[in-house]
Amino acid sequence: MAEDDDAERMRALERRLSEARKAPAPGKDMMRGLSQGEAAWRMVIELATGMAVGLGIGYGLDALFGTRPLLMVVFALLGFAAGVRVMLGTARQLAEAAKRAEEEAD
Amino acid sequence: MAAEGGGLQIHPMDQFIVKPLFGEGPVHWYTPTNVTLWLVLAVVAIGLLMVVGTRRRAIVPSRSQSVAELMYGFIHNMVEEVAGHDGVKYFPYVMTLFLFILFANLLGLIPMSFTTTSHVAVTATLALAVFLGVTVLGLARKGVGFLAMFWVSSAPLALRPILAVIELISYFVRPVSHSIRLAGNLMAGHAVLKVFAGFASVALVSPVAIGAMTAIYALELLVSVIQAYVFTILTCVYLKDAVGDAHH
Repeated sequence: MAEDDDAERMRALERRLSEARKAPAPGKDMMRGLSQGEAAWRMVIELATGMAVGLGIGYGLDALFGTRPLLMVVFALLGFAAGVRVMLGTARQLAEAAKRAEEEAD
Repeated sequence: MAAEGGGLQIHPMDQFIVKPLFGEGPVHWYTPTNVTLWLVLAVVAIGLLMVVGTRRRAIVPSRSQSVAELMYGFIHNMVEEVAGHDGVKYFPYVMTLFLFILFANLLGLIPMSFTTTSHVAVTATLALAVFLGVTVLGLARKGVGFLAMFWVSSAPLALRPILAVIELISYFVRPVSHSIRLAGNLMAGHAVLKVFAGFASVALVSPVAIGAMTAIYALELLVSVIQAYVFTILTCVYLKDAVGDAHH
């Protein structure tokens, strides 16, 4: 009976697959550490570029209107706020991803 | 950079110098340089994998076809998950970006090669293409509605203009951080490799230096793949703003 044999083999495969899925993937901790470092690195860059972009816009507008350093100061602060906003956005995104991963794991 | 103990020669940044391929002389915009060579090699390598590797289109795939199919499926899933169903239309562009960055990163790891993605000029071009593409796409698909992204309707009216400026600046932060992250990661890693390689010429510390180089090389391999992945997934996130539903 070849068909019974096949069905039995499929069941055995299914069992082995489910066991393999349960076992934690090797090196997962290192990957997690690395991706956390990656996220931190990303946030720092966003914070810094926020200020840099704000400062750049302020500098350009100052050169345009001849109001140096007034707009530079204002836009540096706005740029800082923008950097914080982008950073918080990234943090929210990461938290959502973590939550989704947790729900999937359950 | 001569240090005690017989003149250490450490020039970590020399590997990033752009040189003309043929002869000497100034580099013009049309001069074929080592950057050109390695950019072309990246495209050739992608062609080898995706075109030659899959040309038999076997139902039971060969090894190279499996790799190509795996990447295709991986990126396709990512676009659908992150950018939504409407974003799948732009999958070819995202796939191109991913393969190009991945291969440029990996080819840069070959000793004596040139890492094209360690130059901001290369990554900024890629990031600007994404930035302009997403902006034009958003304006074309949603019209003025796309600008509503900058007008925070949940805030008090008096605050909205200021918030709009902040939102606008954070929109412009994207291409900058998008490109600097990739180039910075690659450049830092390769510079560190060179520094350790320089120390390997001192007999006393050379075992440590070579061990550290091996470890960092492994890390760089990981960073190459992760950075390509991060660049691609952020492209999808930006794409979602342009094509996604407007209910948030």
